[in-house]
Amino acid sequence: MKSMSLYVERESTVHHIDPITKLVYIAAAIALPIILPSLHTAWICMLISFVILGMGRVLTRSLPIIGFVGFILLTVVIIQGFFHVGNETVLFRLGSWPFYEEGLLFAMGITFRALNIVGAFLILVLTTKPSDLVESLVRKGLSPRIGYVLSSVFQIIPQMMATVDTITDAQRSRGMETEGKLMTRIKAFLPLIGPVVLSSLIDTKERTLALQVRGFNVKGSKTFLNEEKMYRYGSAMRWSMLAIVIGAVIWRVIA
Amino acid sequence: MIKIQDVCFGYNEGQDVLQGLTLEFDQRTTAIIGQNGAGKTTLVKLLKGLLKPTGGDIWVAGVNSKDVTVAQLAGKIGLVFQNPNDQIFKRTVLEEVMFGPLNMKVETAAAKQQALQALEMVGLADQTDVNPHDLGLSEKKLISIASIVAMNTDIIILDEPTIAQDAAGKRRIAQIIEQLSQEGKLVMTILHDMDFVAAHFERTIVMNRGKVVLDDKTREVFSHQDLLREACLDTPYVTQLGKQWGLPETVLTTEELISAMKRPR
Repeated sequence: MKSMSLYVERESTVHHIDPITKLVYIAAAIALPIILPSLHTAWICMLISFVILGMGRVLTRSLPIIGFVGFILLTVVIIQGFFHVGNETVLFRLGSWPFYEEGLLFAMGITFRALNIVGAFLILVLTTKPSDLVESLVRKGLSPRIGYVLSSVFQIIPQMMATVDTITDAQRSRGMETEGKLMTRIKAFLPLIGPVVLSSLIDTKERTLALQVRGFNVKGSKTFLNEEKMYRYGSAMRWSMLAIVIGAVIWRVIA
Repeated sequence: MIKIQDVCFGYNEGQDVLQGLTLEFDQRTTAIIGQNGAGKTTLVKLLKGLLKPTGGDIWVAGVNSKDVTVAQLAGKIGLVFQNPNDQIFKRTVLEEVMFGPLNMKVETAAAKQQALQALEMVGLADQTDVNPHDLGLSEKKLISIASIVAMNTDIIILDEPTIAQDAAGKRRIAQIIEQLSQEGKLVMTILHDMDFVAAHFERTIVMNRGKVVLDDKTREVFSHQDLLREACLDTPYVTQLGKQWGLPETVLTTEELISAMKRPR
């Protein structure tokens, strides 16, 4: 079955860092460029995220996503370079259209911040198993029900996609054409949606029963199958990041 | 009716599920058996055109499966899926069974006639106006069989037809297979129920790891106990009983066993 997770199995220090520390990193990476809104903070934070992706040996896997986001941000650079409100200094001209320095710097700030956020999230998504993330959150007090909903999404969606394939095959076997014109595809939709919804309802009912017979609703704290994933320096890293954020706030207030 | 020439297929590159398969199917009722992962379902999907071979060719009634869409092939070969819930979506049993013939551009009146005949064959003629989802799994399975029978194809493949069937249901399915065979259709099935295979199929093909290891008359196939064991398959209980009793021949049904046991030794 196709997996919905983007997790990449690698042997690296970043993979060994616990999910909570990675979540704290995301929060810090988002907060810092906001607290210190200079261009330098933005590109330094972005660079750190990319370096961590490299250390996790997932930089290659993140390039398509970074490239896609970068392509969209290119439009920001173009629009701001030409039309930013505070534009004064002309950098170059494209025909009769002047491209301004102020607009470029403004757009670069947005671009670096956006890529920083994307990079920070990619660190979590590419180097953390979804099940580990959910289990860590449940250990930290997240409701097991919500935890189950989150983790089951990663299983149910690929399962539904497999079911859709089977159902499509079953209807094509009865002569239903699913390829070709748009109208043909629209017509093919109805015979698929009924069995898909029904299968999903049956699956949901069976999952509910399977959970109930295994004591999912029992009250009180539960034990876990896996050992809690704790990185040796995780605590030090979290406190360090908190200290940096607090330091940035103080710097902002004083300076 | 079907010719398979040197067919290879793999879901992933370099990992062939089927390797150089060459087979021909005539009108004999045929069972394909093998352990899970042997390649039975893949073979059937290839025959139906749902998958295209990565090597070799498949001709169904003279048409190369690579040259047509699944929908175009639907008029020649019918496939009853294992889980009836994968196909049922209409509000009444009759509409569900008419879905296939209408897709084949059969006139509404003729499609209704074909559907009613198919429902008569599976014993659900009195359930035409019932919502299929109000029926049990056993009856839904019969609806899915009827919906393929109504398409009047010369070849019908049944994927695990005896699942969720009680003794009466199995007898009904055996009757359907016999009737379709008498009408000159090729009835093929994938089965794990060896007793059913022994009792109702003329030819049996044993698959193991993507290859055909035995292909013969059912009685011959079930006489090769060692080869079957290698393919992780059991012989029918009645055949095992006959061997334990010391019978020299391979018996396939209870009647044959009793008859053999009554013979003076």
